[in-house]
Amino acid sequence: MATTTVTRAVTTRTTRGAGRPATGTPPAAKRWWRTAFGVVFTAVMLFPVYWMVNVSLTRDQDMRKSPPNLIPIDGTLHGYSTVLGQQLPFLGTSLVVGLGTVVLTLALSAPAAYSLAKLGPRGGGAMSFVLLIAQMIPAIIMAMGFYTIYVQLGILDTIWGLVLADSTIAVPFGVLIFTAFMRGIPDELLNAARIDGASTWRTFTSVVMPVSRNSIVTVSLFSFLWAWSDFLFANTLDGGGDAKPITLGIYAYIGNNNQEWNSIMATAVVASIPAAVLLVLAQRYVAAGVTAGAVKD
Amino acid sequence: MTTDTTSLRPSAARPRTEDTPASVRGRRAHAQRRAQLTAWAFLAPVALYLVLFYAYPLWKNIELSLKHYTVASFVSGNAPFVGLQNFADVFSSATFAPAIWHTAVFVLVSILVQFALGLALAVFFHNSFPLSGLLRALFLVPWLLPLLVSASTWSWMMNSDSGIVNAFLGSVGIGQINWLTSPDWSLFAVLVANIWIGIPFNLVIMYSGLQGIPGELYEAAALDGANGWQRFWRVTFPLLRPVTAITLLLGFVYTLKVFDIIWIMTKGGPSGSSTTLAIWSYQLGFGSLLPDFSSAATVGNVLIVIALVVGLIYARVQRRLEV
Amino acid sequence: MRTKTVVRIGALVAAASVVAGLTGCSAQSSGSGSSGAASGTYTFWDPYPQYDASSAWGKLVAQCGKDAGVTVKRTGYDTSDLTNKALLAGQQGKSPDVLLVDNPVVSTLAQSGILTDTATSGLQTGDIAENILGAGVIDGKTYGVPIGANTLALYYNPKVLEAAGVDPSSVKDWDSLTAALAKVKAAGKKGITFSGINTEEGSFQFLPWFWGADADLTKLDSAGAEEALQLWKGWIDEGYAPNSVIQNTQTTSWQEFQSGDFAFGENGTWQKDAAKEMGAGVITIPAKDGGAAPVPTGGEFFTIPVQKDDARYATTKKIVECLSSGDDVVTTDNTLNYVAASKDLQQQQLSGNADLKTWVEAVSAARARTGDNLGVQYPVISEQLWTAVQKAESGSASPSDALQSAQQAVDAKLQK
Repeated sequence: MATTTVTRAVTTRTTRGAGRPATGTPPAAKRWWRTAFGVVFTAVMLFPVYWMVNVSLTRDQDMRKSPPNLIPIDGTLHGYSTVLGQQLPFLGTSLVVGLGTVVLTLALSAPAAYSLAKLGPRGGGAMSFVLLIAQMIPAIIMAMGFYTIYVQLGILDTIWGLVLADSTIAVPFGVLIFTAFMRGIPDELLNAARIDGASTWRTFTSVVMPVSRNSIVTVSLFSFLWAWSDFLFANTLDGGGDAKPITLGIYAYIGNNNQEWNSIMATAVVASIPAAVLLVLAQRYVAAGVTAGAVKD
Repeated sequence: MTTDTTSLRPSAARPRTEDTPASVRGRRAHAQRRAQLTAWAFLAPVALYLVLFYAYPLWKNIELSLKHYTVASFVSGNAPFVGLQNFADVFSSATFAPAIWHTAVFVLVSILVQFALGLALAVFFHNSFPLSGLLRALFLVPWLLPLLVSASTWSWMMNSDSGIVNAFLGSVGIGQINWLTSPDWSLFAVLVANIWIGIPFNLVIMYSGLQGIPGELYEAAALDGANGWQRFWRVTFPLLRPVTAITLLLGFVYTLKVFDIIWIMTKGGPSGSSTTLAIWSYQLGFGSLLPDFSSAATVGNVLIVIALVVGLIYARVQRRLEV
Repeated sequence: MRTKTVVRIGALVAAASVVAGLTGCSAQSSGSGSSGAASGTYTFWDPYPQYDASSAWGKLVAQCGKDAGVTVKRTGYDTSDLTNKALLAGQQGKSPDVLLVDNPVVSTLAQSGILTDTATSGLQTGDIAENILGAGVIDGKTYGVPIGANTLALYYNPKVLEAAGVDPSSVKDWDSLTAALAKVKAAGKKGITFSGINTEEGSFQFLPWFWGADADLTKLDSAGAEEALQLWKGWIDEGYAPNSVIQNTQTTSWQEFQSGDFAFGENGTWQKDAAKEMGAGVITIPAKDGGAAPVPTGGEFFTIPVQKDDARYATTKKIVECLSSGDDVVTTDNTLNYVAASKDLQQQQLSGNADLKTWVEAVSAARARTGDNLGVQYPVISEQLWTAVQKAESGSASPSDALQSAQQAVDAKLQK
């Protein structure tokens, strides 16, 4: 019984509805009611995003119209034409930074989590606690500290530097997710590998990581999104080079005396599209990351 | 319920020591040391990373709060050591008590409402229906917007005169509410925006928690005659307790640090009615033309200590639950 | 077998650090960008992130660098970040060669010791109008030269005023202005918009009214100050000014004015082109009992931060002079919508554009915020002033109470 429950929790789940209360398939009508409610909830939740799009299409002189236009009648594409003309390279930088952060976060947090979950290092509990404390430090304090370190090391205004900084947002959380998940991996699997003569590293790469696919996707998604939308670190560590992430690209429209809000919002919309696409594609794999180890017979 | 697997040793069970010859015992001790070394080797990159990137800024911050820095001494580096004087000044400042109160309200209301809504939505989406996957993914969109943009959008929507929220309220007969410019409503306004931003995170975690609950338990409950509501409270919610705990804890830690949203929407005003500790810290350090880094660092440290205390309480409670 | 694992991981970590280090080094060397011909790279920080390298400003900076024989690496930062970036850089000994900052910040940076004075750097300031230079003078030493100046005035919408039966030339003092606002409201339009937010912009916008009532920054709780604050509060209470002023930045306030519903909008020189486009006119802000109210100077200053190598100042001076006093500065000031800082250059501007007359006059009568030797006291005073203004505007305190607690807070902070 224990084995079957655990294996079910551990095996990759690509279908939605894992653990669904098995009360038989509800009739089609009931399910469409749910879809209707779902659409309403999503619409309410995404209304501010709609508003963002609305503002991005508004002319400067209508910005403060009272009452505001619900749909952008007399709209303008000025914002978008500016953005598409200037900001696309920054999207590329953001992508590189995001992917770099994912790779670095996984490389750092997965082995550490494996150790904490399965290898029983002395002081592992203290380490977990320290990782929790690490997340408590306000970002501005981290940013100022990084500035000092980076200036001394001379890596200010490099993509690597930004990847390192952004990973600090994701690594402690990544360790937490991976640890929780890896705790749930049955020891029999690991022992089987050991009996076959595999080293700890080999066990890690050939047994643990493939089985952890869902938590890998979860951690990757979180770290990518956090890096993609990061503004504070990019701003502090920016030396003004040409390779800026898209969040800093917004500054091109924030002058010292004037701000072009339609362009700012257009930048945000354009920046959100790739991330949103990624989200839709990846969401089915984001599951079982946090909790597989928490529910056992 | 939660099996503790943290102390798994690679070399399985321990046979009785009287039976084993000294050489075997020696080899075993050696093997255990090796195992510890391996364990720490896996942990080493993160440990080094923590020291370099977290310990250093933290230490700098503590140093800033224990000395009295002016802009001149910040640049030159010769600031006098003043011990806990900065802390005394912060505690006796007129902004301190309101800031603590606002922080408490902001954090507690945020995490509770975000959690409740996240859980409710997770349960709603748990039963698959057409488009549920797509809609669930769309719910995460607020999360990937830069905070500058989300906060600005909410700021626009809640503008007293040209905001869509007041336009809507006006159309149903409610008068103009000064969301961001009235001391009575400013905290509420930033709460709403913060909750909106926090729902996706809670939704994702709680949803994956629900995924981990085996279906047989629901079947068994249904067979015993439990209805949907009872199934939720008797089966789902208790099994979600560890996930709930970690979600609330992380929510607490993250919300305590929140400052972008409040800063962009109200800058902590009007007259400090939405100033939390994080906002106050930023105001002192970067919000005026004459930065006061020592006081800013001091308030920052107070923030970290509060988070630390809550973290310790959580660890205590978790240990007790696991026993 | 265990040893192999340990060794393998150790090797990985070592390799990763080496790669990181190499990438770091190579990135840095590729970033310095000095060619063989130029004798070095000079760094230039300004608060104009909206201008990239291909803009007129970007090209001008590069050209002045070339004329001085060096390559200039220019970075635009958000103006509110620039102070802290400058301080952090100064702390690490990595100050830029030229730092262009908002004028009220100059005294803070001078106090921190990261700026050179004109005696050290050799910059000439003779031509520059004294009231504009004032923000850069601390304790008798000058720490920079202005790129130009801007200031505030009252824009008006002729269509709205006509519909309400108000003649713009009748607005001469506070009473006539309030009367005009009442007429506009009665005609169904909105009165006036300004920025009363709790940042430096709020103080900036409040100062013409403050000074127009003969109040002084060294005494925030004077009768004149109270009258000025009561004026603003009265407008909000009567509905002549919208509630949103409590949160408006100058840009937001301008957007409200642009919507065409407002009769008056207090805003700056930098909007003059947009104003012309919408057909708006401009008058000077009236003082309480008539005449033009003293207005604060805005605009940035060129400063030369302290460097380890003294020899750099000669070249830096050339770059700054090229940007602040040549013919090009007239073009720059026209682009930025600033008024030039010296009388001669102002004449040059006027001959090219007669519309600037009101603005040139306004700037001649303007005052520096950190002038009168207020220096680093100004930021403390300003913070309390904008707090008091917001308290009164939002109704948390009466104008007199708000200003009294402001003055007490200033006294307490400046005692330390």
